[in-house]
Amino acid sequence: MDNDRKLINVTIDGIEVSVPEGKTILEAAERLGIVIPRYCYHPALSAPAQCRMCLVEVEGAPKPLPSCVQQVQDGMVVSTDCAEARKARRGVIEFLLLNHPLDCPICDAAGQCMLQDYAHETGQLRRRAVEPTVVLGRDHVTSEIVYFADRCILCTRCVRFMEEIAEEPVLQVIQRGHKGYIDTMTDELFEHPFSMNIVDVCPVGALVNEDFLFKARSWDLDQTASICPGCSQGCNVLLGTKEQRVVRLKPRPNPEVNSHWMCDYGRREVVRWGAGIRAEVPMVRESDRLVAIDWSRALDALVEALSEASGGAKAIVSPGASNESLFTLRSLMERVGFEGGYFHVTTGSEQVLKGFPKLALREDRAANARGAELLGFERVDYVYGALLGHRGVVFVLEEALDGAPEDFGEGVELFIYIGSHLSPAAGKADIVLPCPIWAEMEGTFTNFEDRVQRFNQALRPPGLARPIWLSFSVALARLGAGEPFTSVAAAFGALAEELGVYSGLSYERIGLNGATTAAAGSAAAARR
Amino acid sequence: MSDAMHPAIAGAQPSQRAEKRPEAPLFEGAYQDRFEKILTRYPDKRAALLPVLHLAQEVRGWVSPQTIRRVGELLDLTPAYVRSVASFYTMFNLRPVGKYLIQVCVGIGCDLCRAEEVAEKFLELTRTRIGETSEDGKYTVIEVECLGACAFPTVVQVNDKVYENVKAEEVEGLLKELD
Repeated sequence: MDNDRKLINVTIDGIEVSVPEGKTILEAAERLGIVIPRYCYHPALSAPAQCRMCLVEVEGAPKPLPSCVQQVQDGMVVSTDCAEARKARRGVIEFLLLNHPLDCPICDAAGQCMLQDYAHETGQLRRRAVEPTVVLGRDHVTSEIVYFADRCILCTRCVRFMEEIAEEPVLQVIQRGHKGYIDTMTDELFEHPFSMNIVDVCPVGALVNEDFLFKARSWDLDQTASICPGCSQGCNVLLGTKEQRVVRLKPRPNPEVNSHWMCDYGRREVVRWGAGIRAEVPMVRESDRLVAIDWSRALDALVEALSEASGGAKAIVSPGASNESLFTLRSLMERVGFEGGYFHVTTGSEQVLKGFPKLALREDRAANARGAELLGFERVDYVYGALLGHRGVVFVLEEALDGAPEDFGEGVELFIYIGSHLSPAAGKADIVLPCPIWAEMEGTFTNFEDRVQRFNQALRPPGLARPIWLSFSVALARLGAGEPFTSVAAAFGALAEELGVYSGLSYERIGLNGATTAAAGSAAAARR
Repeated sequence: MSDAMHPAIAGAQPSQRAEKRPEAPLFEGAYQDRFEKILTRYPDKRAALLPVLHLAQEVRGWVSPQTIRRVGELLDLTPAYVRSVASFYTMFNLRPVGKYLIQVCVGIGCDLCRAEEVAEKFLELTRTRIGETSEDGKYTVIEVECLGACAFPTVVQVNDKVYENVKAEEVEGLLKELD
């Protein structure tokens, strides 16, 4: 623990700072907001001090020292930006660029490349070497990841990720010096459920995801802090979006959930969620067909139908729906009598990341199964069975209704379908309301260990699709239950007030990093 | 990626004789005894990797992917790690070599004394290119950096025998002498 360690004082670039004993110069500088250039150093991996990019001058030391491994000592005076340190860095950059193809215009990493950044910073614009460059070529290392040997600077971050975090040391440096490259055993591809993290740790464009290759320039992407909805782990991610589409997911560091990592499944699956035929306008049944109408009249129809309903309500919900959506749905159902809500979770095998076992691709391949449970929805294997014989009101929320029985929705008093996509089974609904997918709205998910996390809106919902918490809170207000929520924060606030487990939490407190419920927090404390 | 892209990585250690049985088992008989003795010299198996690779090359003539896997099994190391080490050092043959592995020194001393011409003569007479093995399987010619006999340029080493002061016009006689 940081607190137990002795504090020592060092001066970095003329600023004095107190840091716990055992911190490196690089970490101490980061506390001051000074980012020392680095390649081989990665906060979650061991530091081999081999790239020599982070050399700094320390008063009294006979030569520049690698700041990523050099621990601070009391009274140390460090200069990260003096002439000597700059000269050392320029030398390193010149060597790294000796055989570099300088193919930035066609490189996927352009714009997020540390070689570009530091080459620009050190300012050497001309090549002094006259020898021809060594050309090594490219190769696949997994079926989805391509390795460009000529761009590689041999920082070995990928090698150390596979060794220390994945604990499957399949990558190694082959050859040495200017002939060196990263490879597996001869002509073998490797497979690992967390393999794409090697693309993230690569500081240059050597390892690239073939799925993203040539799709977008990194500076054209809008980045939104979100949560991966692929499983109940709830990895913190950055959504890269372009032209109304999710192009990629990158892990967003959170030491409590996913460190710097996320699984391949999440990256592969959820980018496709926006595809398909989307529900874009509210529709109301007129005799035998659904007719598109505006929201105001759709809500009128909903309120009127609910006030006339005599039976209670049952619901089939998606375990990927947000807490706020589920909460407002439940509140609305309670107006006519809540008789049960059910969900089914698709499952797969659990894959733990051995070097960071807190993180796993969880069995439950849905973001909010736990949140739905806490709200009183029941997990069942066959959701349609739970609704057999029900004659009252039926709500279906964001569930595609694949595998629904032919006669699903027949013989009930009122069938309300809320979905992001149009499903054939929704054709029998009395009212169809379009809603956004997770990337098109904001809200919270509760992960498998009762951690509540916020996701933000990255895309515009198509057509007239509107978040459920918003449309249902308006319907609730019309039914006489107070004022509608003006923000998702207000919706979560009402939820936290009503549901004991979330007491003490607010949308603001959850913030970007999430927060655990009081019960989960004290359970974790007891474990410690 | 294949190792074949780097001609310069073929090489030989002094004790090596190039004509070997590539399918020979690792290890058997006297070689098994030597292998076990090597293990006793080091605190852990990993440390024994280099001498064991040398021993494997002595048996099989080159370090094939199969050899790499087998050595990994014997020493509890991943094949990728063994490959990494074997490819770092130039004295392991990562491709099969001919009966005579001819190493021409192109270090600075020899280079100044026209080592280039000597190397070219070898290539011409054996009808090969650098790092390739002649059709009859007899010769592999490679260039190496400094054989440590700079006072006698140009230095040429054929398998485990060193020839000093080799001139381009002497190459033909040297090759005849081999057979």
